Amino acid sequence: MRKYSRELTVAGVLCVLLLALAITAPAFYEPQPLLSRLAREAPTLILACGIALVMVSRQIDISIGSLFAVSSVCAGLLAAAGWPLAAVLGITVLFGAGLGAVNGALVAGLRLPSIVVTLATMVILREGLRWQQQGAFINLPDSWQWFGLSQRGGQITLISCALLALFALAWASRNFAGIRFLYAVGSNAEAARLAGLRPQWMTFAVFVFMGALAGGAALMNVVQSPQVDPKSGTGLELKAIAAAVVGGVAVSGGRGNLWGVFAGVLLLASINPALTYLHVEAYWEKAIQGAVILLAVVFDGLRNQREIS
Amino acid sequence: MALAESTRKKVRPIGLLLFRHETILLLVLVGEWLYFNAVGRRFGTPDNTFDIMRHSAEIGLLALVMTPIILTGGIDLSVGSLLGLCAILFGKLWRDGGLSLPVAAGCTLLIGACAGGLNAALIARLRLPALIVTLGTYSLFRGFAEAITRGVDTFTNFPDSFLALGQNRFAGLPAQVWFFLPVAIGIWMLVHRTSFGRSFRAIGFVPDGARFAGLPVERRVALVYVLAGLVAALAAIIYTARLGQAKADAGTGYELFAITAVVLGGTSIFGGVGSVHGTLLGVAAIAVLNNGLVHARQPREVAGMLTGALLLAALGASEIPKLLARMRAPRHGAAPPLSPNNPS
Amino acid sequence: MNRLFAFAVCVSLALFSACHKSSETSTGTDSGGKKLTIALMPKSKGNAYFISCKAGADEAAKEFGVDLLFDGPTEPDPAKQNEIIENWITLGVDVIAAACENKEGISTALKKAREKGIKVITYDSDANPDAREFFINQATPQGIAQTLVDEAARLTDSEGEFAIITASLTAANMNEWRKNIDARLAEKYPKMKLVDTRPCDDLKDKAQAEATNLLSAYPNLKLIMAICSPAVPGAAEAVKQAGKTGTVKVIGLGLPSENRRYVREGVTQSVILWKTKDLGYLTIKAAADLANGKLKSGATEYDAGKLGILKIDGDSIVLGQPFIFNESNIDQFDF
Repeated sequence: MRKYSRELTVAGVLCVLLLALAITAPAFYEPQPLLSRLAREAPTLILACGIALVMVSRQIDISIGSLFAVSSVCAGLLAAAGWPLAAVLGITVLFGAGLGAVNGALVAGLRLPSIVVTLATMVILREGLRWQQQGAFINLPDSWQWFGLSQRGGQITLISCALLALFALAWASRNFAGIRFLYAVGSNAEAARLAGLRPQWMTFAVFVFMGALAGGAALMNVVQSPQVDPKSGTGLELKAIAAAVVGGVAVSGGRGNLWGVFAGVLLLASINPALTYLHVEAYWEKAIQGAVILLAVVFDGLRNQREIS
Repeated sequence: MALAESTRKKVRPIGLLLFRHETILLLVLVGEWLYFNAVGRRFGTPDNTFDIMRHSAEIGLLALVMTPIILTGGIDLSVGSLLGLCAILFGKLWRDGGLSLPVAAGCTLLIGACAGGLNAALIARLRLPALIVTLGTYSLFRGFAEAITRGVDTFTNFPDSFLALGQNRFAGLPAQVWFFLPVAIGIWMLVHRTSFGRSFRAIGFVPDGARFAGLPVERRVALVYVLAGLVAALAAIIYTARLGQAKADAGTGYELFAITAVVLGGTSIFGGVGSVHGTLLGVAAIAVLNNGLVHARQPREVAGMLTGALLLAALGASEIPKLLARMRAPRHGAAPPLSPNNPS
Repeated sequence: MNRLFAFAVCVSLALFSACHKSSETSTGTDSGGKKLTIALMPKSKGNAYFISCKAGADEAAKEFGVDLLFDGPTEPDPAKQNEIIENWITLGVDVIAAACENKEGISTALKKAREKGIKVITYDSDANPDAREFFINQATPQGIAQTLVDEAARLTDSEGEFAIITASLTAANMNEWRKNIDARLAEKYPKMKLVDTRPCDDLKDKAQAEATNLLSAYPNLKLIMAICSPAVPGAAEAVKQAGKTGTVKVIGLGLPSENRRYVREGVTQSVILWKTKDLGYLTIKAAADLANGKLKSGATEYDAGKLGILKIDGDSIVLGQPFIFNESNIDQFDF
């Protein structure tokens, strides 16, 4: 139990918040807006799961927002040119994976610090995209929205995809050696290497995986509206990292599980709507988000201190 | 192999390594200067040089104070947001609080130090990861700035005597340079000439070892974050003078620029290795690049892309020889050399 | 010691070049026959609204044979506009035409430009009056706010709840419009109630999310007013997905091209803007005429060539009234 105290705490806070909303602002649970909100957060959940794995292996990737934007534009341009869904999906994911591979090669191959590499790639991709698109929206063909399904069907599909990915990754992190090895590499890369693992290849693989997930998440976002905004994905890296951290993933690697990340995503995603439903002024949003992040970390720290002393 | 590597390290003192990275950066800076001089009609003029100085004063201050933080193995993502918060508090204390400008400035510096103290308490006392704490305060400080002003309020109409601080020249140089220089010299002396400052590198290298060696690690780490808050407040005041206006979104994105400058200057993000003069070169290189590209009639986006590429190139340049050495080294049983730059 | 030496080298190199250049700056001022350089600054690059203004500006630049410099901040940093203007001062452009993000902040830099003999005009969003010669106004903030509020009143029978989606809480012109909206509401439509204002950070997706929440949190909402251009299609999509097309009206300030499909589907009733290309064209023409003396302070009328004769209100050259794009006319425009 104690091992999961952070995840349980976050889940607890989330439940308290949801309960409070149920009492004071039951409109929060209206089915259609709720589905819309969950579908909107599905790409964030995917990104948060990915970044959690990256952080578990003791790296970080702050370029995922730009990866997301570039992949969205790639998907949008292909879709507007008439390519079929399956092909666009495949190419977008591969494109994301390719960009992730660049990050991976620099981090694993040249042993450059991941925060600096991904800072550089974030800036290069973001400015490059701005230069190319100049802010212009991309109009998608009508058949694209919701994969061609009905709105409700599309939203349920997206939410199911995200949950499926979550379940699969959570299961894999207990039972699939590949992901367990990430924990090993993140805890102590040298020990992992001596144990026969290849830390550099694992690091490379996790960045490629992150890129692929960013591509997939981008597509999940693209199908939700008939236009692609090249600015989408702004601030997404901070959202994903904050959600992962609040959910218990350690920046120093080796610790964290995806259920905590799930709780973290839901908690942080509920703050802004909660403000609207509770009729609180919008300018409190950032302060409250910062406070939630700090409280989550402080609680952990106090607990550690008590254990040490 | 690990033993051989450590002996090799003894033969090649750290100082020479640092010198090499900074030389490369210096060459880059000189190269930039010469290129833009040739391409831009008005690039090398004193006016333009003073422009560069004026535009990079606040960010330079943030980068300067970020250096000891990163040296100790930490990071501070909240300095940009703190700049914004201090700017509006400065304006509020003066306009709504009725304080005189010097008193308001003093209070702002104090508030900056206290905000830095919040970071210090969480990072040094509670031993929480700096990245996450400052990620939280990054939102928190900006959030307070937005909440206090309701996003809408701006503070303007400062007296000309105050605005001269950011806009006029004093003894031949832009006024803010006279604030920048003492801080730069002070931080350089602190990091390079005091044993206090030299301990930063030890703390960044091996914090536990430093602790066992009797260094008051927590206190020193706390100090650098408080210092960061103080300097961010100073930068906020200069910013307000330069712009003639204080708004809640002041300083957006400055922390990334500061980190880029510090890393470009040769300081390792993992801590333990780095220099203040490297940071200054890094700030200069980026500032000259941004300014020069305007003279070269290039769009702004190119400046961003080139800065990112420069960062990768600067880091890669020092790593490629190591990569080649690793590739040439025999595979079996060869442990990758452990160093502060390569914990994995 | 080596490091100090390196620094010394650097500094002396800088001084050397500076000395070398300063002799050049005393000559090379503008004389007849040299192309005029006009520097145009948007509020931010990568914003489709300003790109469409630039299209008109390019046209004018070609027509009048001027050199057009287009640059602006890519990030919403208030200080960036000032830095670019100061760079232009050093570059020695002839005219600066800027859309101002921060009224007071940018005036500092613009005044410096004027001191150096550079002509300054503003367009789209004004600076302080003493920082520029003329303001090319597509419509006054009062005019824009009035058009928005009057349209909203028309669509909601002058009563009921409505909400505003803005770009960010700190954007100067949005706040200007807000003030005028509040004034107009108080003056003419006491039965209309503004229940909430939420920022979308200039992101269409976030605007959609905010609108979804607004629709549900305020069940009696009758209209969403999106005063930031990505927010108009975002809000429209939210209304459509909530199944409230027609029940909750959507109006806003946006580009016809981004809103065409929603206007046709009846989700968005009115898109209010002005002919941005004309704004860009007028800005460059006025800048050129200011530089070569054809436009002088104190004039009450201005011959804007193909745009006709425009009134000058004080020192504001007004393009006209805001234009309402709706179902009947949106197909005629391609920007």
